[in-house]
Order: sequence, then C-alpha cells, then structure tokens
Amino acid sequence: MIPLIGLALGIVLGLLLQPTLPLGLQPYLPIAIVAALDALFGAFRAYLEGTFTDRVFVVSFVSNVLIAALIVWVGDQIGVGSQLSTGVVVVLGIRIFTNVAAIRRVLFHA
Amino acid sequence: MSVPRVPGPRRVDASMDLLNQILRAPVDPDYARVAARVAPADRRRPRGHQWWLALVLVLAGTLFAVGALQTDRARPVQANERTELIARIQAAEAEQDDVRGQVQDLDAQIGRLRSGALGSDDASRALEAQIDEVGPAVGLAPVTGPGVVVVVDDAPSTGDDARDQVLDLDLQVLANGLWTSGAEAVSINGHRLSALTAIRGAGDAITVDYRSLTRPYRVEAIGDPRTLQARLAESAAGAWWNDLAQNRDMTYQTSDASRLVLDSDPGITLRYARTPDR
Repeated sequence: MIPLIGLALGIVLGLLLQPTLPLGLQPYLPIAIVAALDALFGAFRAYLEGTFTDRVFVVSFVSNVLIAALIVWVGDQIGVGSQLSTGVVVVLGIRIFTNVAAIRRVLFHA
Repeated sequence: MSVPRVPGPRRVDASMDLLNQILRAPVDPDYARVAARVAPADRRRPRGHQWWLALVLVLAGTLFAVGALQTDRARPVQANERTELIARIQAAEAEQDDVRGQVQDLDAQIGRLRSGALGSDDASRALEAQIDEVGPAVGLAPVTGPGVVVVVDDAPSTGDDARDQVLDLDLQVLANGLWTSGAEAVSINGHRLSALTAIRGAGDAITVDYRSLTRPYRVEAIGDPRTLQARLAESAAGAWWNDLAQNRDMTYQTSDASRLVLDSDPGITLRYARTPDR
C-alpha cells in the first residue's frame, strides 16, 4: 500500500508545488523518468516473483536515475548526447516491455 | 594437463549478445541475490528501509509530475517562437518587396539618364532602338500584351506523395515549353522569368528568383495569342502536363488573355557597359 500512496503523493506534490528544475538539468529529466520507470517495473516484477527487497529497490532506483542522466550528460559533453539518449531509451524501453510482459503474465495468467 | 579449447560451433545469435542479455536479465539481478541470502521471513518485515522506499516513490512521482509539467510549459513557448519566426519572415519579405520597388525606381532613373546621355544623333537613335527591342525580350523592361495564362496546381487529394505535387521540374518544363512555343515574356506568380532566373525547389516550396511561391501556380506568357496556346499543346511541355493532369489529377488549365502586364525582372543588373565610339 505504501508504494502506491507514495507514488500518488509524489505526483500530487509535483503538480501542486510545481517545482522548477534548474535549466541545466532539464534535458536529463526525460531520461531520468525512463530510468525511474524501468526501476519501478523491475521492482514490481521482483515483488510478484517474491524476491523484492526494498533496499535493493532504493539503491537500484537511485543509481538507475543517476547513471542514465550521467550517461547522457557525458554524451552531451563529447557531442553524442542525442545518440546516447536514444541508446539509453532503447535499452530501458526493451527492459520495461519485457518486465511489463512478465507482470502481465503473472497477474492475468495470459 | 591442459585440454586445448576447441571453439565450438558459433551460436546463431552470437551477434545479438547485447540484446539477448537485455531481454534475459530485465530485473536487477541483485533482487535474486539478496533474496537468496536473506531468509524470506526477514524480507517480509522490512523496518528501517520502509521509509526510504516511501521517500524514493514520492521522488519518482514528483519526477513524473515535473516532467509532464515541463513538457506542458514548453509547448506555448515553442508556439510563440514559431509565430515570431513567421512574423520575421513576413517582415523580411516586405522589406524585400520594398527593395525591389527601389530597384525598379532606380532602373527607370537609369533609363532616363541613359536617354539623356545618348543625345539625338543617328548612332544614338540606333542604340536606343536596339535597347528598346532587346529590353523586353531579356526581361529588363516591363511588357504588356495579349498572351496565355496557364494555371497549374497540386492534385486535390494530395497526401505526402511528392508525385502528386507540382515540382520545380514541372514548372521548368512548362516555362521552357512556353519559350519554345513562341512566348516573348513569361512570369510565374508575378515573378518575371529571364535568362538568369532559377526555378528551384527549396524544402516544400518552389522558388523563382529565390522567392518562394504559394499554390496555385499562375504562369503568364505574352506572345501571339493565335498560335501560342496551340503550339504549347503540341510541344513536349504540353504532353508532359497533359500526362500529369490525366494520370496524377493535377490542375492544368490554359486560357487566352487579351491583356497581360508583366513586370521587369528585378534580378537583372547591369554588369558590363562601355561608352559608344563616336
């Protein structure tokens, strides 16, 4: 229950407070969101498989988001930012799809 | 004793290793590792980390909300930029028109000065007659007279298929066809064609004299009204456009006009001049 409440609370907080991100960080937000989605779906799948541990989730979430943003940042510095972000989105996208498919199989037995 | 490593048969999907790895290990392997180490009972009762979990999820929710808001906020900015760009293009075009008018004024002034300088002896009169004769043909002077109006346009049901749209090549063919059919002066959408005029495609638009045209394309040609239209129909350009009209459903209408006014081509500049031998 706590996870869903936390997620909803976060969305409400974001919509109400409308925090503005520093201009320099704005390009990395979409990538960070994709990384966060990946961590969330991975955690949900682990939860369904009975292997969920919140410590692993916290660590993997934070590191996922930071590393994804960092990769793109480094790419921006060396001039391949858009290509690298495409690569990150492709890899994370594949993972999200695979995880969601597994979750669907467990939940709906389909 | 060492067994020589025999390279086994290459896996068929060896080159897809990266993709396979992504597909096979979509969940952080740490979950399984920690799960194997910690007894299930301990995992069920997580204490201190619960708050971290909640915090991270709040963070995730905020991240989504901020991302959505940011995209939402950026949209009017982009629209503003677009309208601003359009306004700037229109301003630049108006300025270009101004400058063109100035060019025409100056051309008229040059003409007056020239006739003033030429005097009135026989040689000067011959030169002036030559200028008057050549001027309209090369596009230096505005011309009026009867002729033909050809209106062409993209096919009505045009999708993104470039074959259903009028291309720069089609207009080039049409203009050349009019010249060969005996036209003395040709203009497209009011832009007079001369030997120096380029009809080119630039992006989605066709440009004449580096000015982009808007559909439909109205091609005016001054020439003998009795023969021009018939000769155009017989020419290769006529065949080309009949084909486009019939097979591609493009608009292609020719009509006679009793009086057309074609401006001079502002792109023509005086590049070489010398004083006549007296």
